Amino acid sequence: MAFLSGNDQNEIKRLFEQLSGNVQLIYFTQKESPLIIPGQECGSCKDTRLLLEEVAALSDKIQLEVHDFVAESEIAREHGIDRIPALVMTAEGVKGKLRYFGMPSGYEFSVLIGSLLDVSQGKSDLSEETVGILRDLDKDLHIQVFVTPT
Amino acid sequence: MALESSHVVADVVEVTEFPHLAQRYAIRGVPKTVINETVEFIGAVPESQFAEHVQRASSPAAS
Repeated sequence: MAFLSGNDQNEIKRLFEQLSGNVQLIYFTQKESPLIIPGQECGSCKDTRLLLEEVAALSDKIQLEVHDFVAESEIAREHGIDRIPALVMTAEGVKGKLRYFGMPSGYEFSVLIGSLLDVSQGKSDLSEETVGILRDLDKDLHIQVFVTPT
Repeated sequence: MALESSHVVADVVEVTEFPHLAQRYAIRGVPKTVINETVEFIGAVPESQFAEHVQRASSPAAS
């Protein structure tokens, strides 16, 4: 079953016309197996992968890489991924790191699509003042925003 | 913000999927933002206010 209806797909395709550069989606999941190890199952890993595949199919500018969190732990470590499902969004010009943990559904899905558009530009639409503050940072900042599905 | 500075790692965390984090950060309302374990606030705030929180978290006093 598809997550995105025909209408959704058309709407997203229209938005993706604004993509200015290529966006890389680096997705970490677990091997999908019929065997479930209690305590280690990732409830939304498969659905998130399917959703991302549907999104990536809507534009040539979106490239999706799928990695196994366990088998490719080195790549996961490189991106600081300690839990799954996890998504890293990046593009040329992006200076820091932008990640999404969990399945982006409901309202968060539109946040994800908006983020992809911002990432593709390699710059934000923040005010000059805010950009100045960020430029002057001399300390690493880890900003975590906790959300729930709506 | 992560687009503009190599010092910034910005995460969105779907908290129902990671209940241990909900507990660790005492999440009772969303969106809740935590910066470097030192600064936190609940709700969507205007950009200028968010920037103030960033400054507070990056000041030498906050560590």
